[in-house]
Amino acid sequence: MKISKEKFGQAFDALAADYQIIAPVSEAGGVNYLAVKSFSEVKQDYLNSKLPPKSFLFPQHEKLLTYKKEGKDVTVKTELQVEKSVLFGIRPCDAKAMLLLDKVFKNDEYRDPYYYERRDNSVVIGQACNKISPSCFCSSMGISPASSEGSDIFLIDLGDSYQVEVITEKGKALMAGLQELSELSADEQALVDTIKSAQTSSKVDVATITAKLDKMFDSPFWDSLHEKCLSCNACTFSCPTCHCFDISEEVHKNEGSRVRTWDGCMAPLFTLHGSGHNPRDKKKARWRQRMMHKFNYFVHNNGDIACVGCGRCIKSCPVNLDIRQVIDGVNNAELVVD
Amino acid sequence: MNTETKAFEPKIAAFLCNWCSYAGADLAGVGRFQYPATIRTIRVPCSGRINPLYLLKAMANGADGVLVSGCHPGDCHYMSGNYVARRKFALIDSLLKHVGLEEGRVSFSWVSAAEGVRFAEVVKGVTERVTALGPNKGVFKVEDGGGTNE
Amino acid sequence: MNSIIEDIRATARQLLTDGKVDVVIGYEKGSLPLSATPCFVRSPQDTDKLIWDETCENNLAAFSTLTQGKKAIIAKGCDSRALVVLLQENQLVRDDLYIIGVSCQGVINKKKIEAETGEILEASINPGKITVKGMECDKEFTFAELKDASCQTCRYPNPVLEDIHIGGLIEVAQQAAVFADVTEMENKTDAERQAYFKEQMSKCIRCYACRNACPLCYCKECFVDCNSPKWLTGGVDSAENLFFQAGRVLHLAGRCVECGACSRACPQDVDIRALNRKMSKDVFNMYHHESGISVEGSGALNEYSADDPEAFLVKE
Repeated sequence: MKISKEKFGQAFDALAADYQIIAPVSEAGGVNYLAVKSFSEVKQDYLNSKLPPKSFLFPQHEKLLTYKKEGKDVTVKTELQVEKSVLFGIRPCDAKAMLLLDKVFKNDEYRDPYYYERRDNSVVIGQACNKISPSCFCSSMGISPASSEGSDIFLIDLGDSYQVEVITEKGKALMAGLQELSELSADEQALVDTIKSAQTSSKVDVATITAKLDKMFDSPFWDSLHEKCLSCNACTFSCPTCHCFDISEEVHKNEGSRVRTWDGCMAPLFTLHGSGHNPRDKKKARWRQRMMHKFNYFVHNNGDIACVGCGRCIKSCPVNLDIRQVIDGVNNAELVVD
Repeated sequence: MNTETKAFEPKIAAFLCNWCSYAGADLAGVGRFQYPATIRTIRVPCSGRINPLYLLKAMANGADGVLVSGCHPGDCHYMSGNYVARRKFALIDSLLKHVGLEEGRVSFSWVSAAEGVRFAEVVKGVTERVTALGPNKGVFKVEDGGGTNE
Repeated sequence: MNSIIEDIRATARQLLTDGKVDVVIGYEKGSLPLSATPCFVRSPQDTDKLIWDETCENNLAAFSTLTQGKKAIIAKGCDSRALVVLLQENQLVRDDLYIIGVSCQGVINKKKIEAETGEILEASINPGKITVKGMECDKEFTFAELKDASCQTCRYPNPVLEDIHIGGLIEVAQQAAVFADVTEMENKTDAERQAYFKEQMSKCIRCYACRNACPLCYCKECFVDCNSPKWLTGGVDSAENLFFQAGRVLHLAGRCVECGACSRACPQDVDIRALNRKMSKDVFNMYHHESGISVEGSGALNEYSADDPEAFLVKE
């Protein structure tokens, strides 16, 4: 079923009265997800956003709680304020990435209220990629440019209308406001078929990477891989699945707040202990950690590779350290036999 | 509720070198030369000790103005501390203005241990200028606990 | 160009074969169109990977302090200045360093291309022009159109310190130091500048790519990582981002060699250069100092003169 963009826009604007809507907006230098009030602000034709939408579920800087000491009494307040949200225009890679973040923040053992309150109160309207960037490789990561996995409603842009698919109950509830759906024409159906069968031109082979990495912790492969890395966090901050953080206190006299901020395993001080010991003070250890975490540990712990092939790390890396080349390198690395 | 708004009294962080400016401030006190109670003094051994981050942090913490004062060039207790500081201060002053910090928020002076009267004049002048600018407009000010962009 | 590449490879091969260096730090072809990437060559056979062209944008001096042993480094004009500052500051041992100097006409800023053609699919560099096939459209550019901002104001295209020079020398376009870009900014009102830097700083995500790409940011503990005193709260609002950038720029004042690596490294296109250039202008005008020109010199803030200007003083 399809809906004209005009009708969709009206429904979108009506939703904005009750929901915070996060949608792609054009900015100097690219497209980014921002809060919008109207469909007219939404950027239509673009490859993908510069930064992933993860900051709406997992903000870069967040006050977890505040405290104040008055005499002998301490009052503690949690700062969480959650608005019902619609995350609009989320691409298959970013939608899948949210499912991966769920495994970390919202599972049987740990439920992070700062994450899952936002997650449970947001509806994901996903959108297929009509154009595919040469640095995307999602087809190799278990999804595709038109995968609806992780979306509550899934749209395909047909030009002056959207094909609309309801994926979950949450999406169905939101759809109730959409009127005047119609059937697709033969041409439009053909366009949908083309988009649905599209694959990224860039591919990597991750079929056996987890098993290979099981045996590679001490491999000399890691000795030279890391050398050109600058140890910044450009890749981790632009990655939709990266989720490491630091918690610190900001205290002034008798009051303060506990703050969570993004951190990244590429930074040298990420693993600095209070004792002064740093198990990953060498870049070699940090790059090994990046690959192992995404392609091995996360698979063992959570059943999935923590990379969705969005290509942002490739584009943002100042030294062009390409994770696809690293994957190839791992696959081709000779196993050292004891 | 008091309907009269209290006149704005700025909070000015004053970094004073131990040997000259701090002594000069002390002399002002001893000699009862009045100056506005707007400065919060921080004694440093030498103006050359001033790390530009001190000024930025003072403003990030809400200071409405900053005063940095040392010995006159040629009279530094450590011989060359204030010569090095002079170059630093020129560049800090220039950069802060360049990023749009209002002229007069950050001030620099050379005040000797004998210049008690002058110290009071400097503080009066700085206070006047900062008061006219109004409270810290937030070029560097960080809200409690830091924040995020909209 | 081709003979330069052959000479670089031959020099590297000879140095490694003779055991004069343990590693040659240079550039190889990157994985994205119009990209070069730093490469660390340790055996003579691998020297064929080395390239040299207008995509060689990284400042390899950033790797010099972190690489052990004797190393050869391919150095453009700005890179050699950075090496000089590192030598002035005793961060490198001269005998461990073999500088392969190459004169540089400038590097391409890919963002200028992408602004017009969308993401680059294919590109080729030919004499005088760069032909691009992009996601949005195809276009042919002149090199002048794509030259990185730092290269447009470059006055040191020829290395200032080197052990061997590959290729010819380049005539310096501008003899006098001109800071037209800074003057343009200075002529704006306080409010305009404040708004400009606030907007730029709101883009910053504090990944520290700028700091890490800079060869002169080598502190074992950067002030941003310091917990006592805690300078930064971790917030990423524009005020704190400005605190970080201003702090970094002031720490680089009198040392920055204007290579532009910081601005090029930034994934968010923050105009970091604007601040560094202001400092360079002030240092040049007030102290007649340019950083990294000769090993015997020192940073502008390590020196002083009885006549240094003091216009910043209060009038009382």
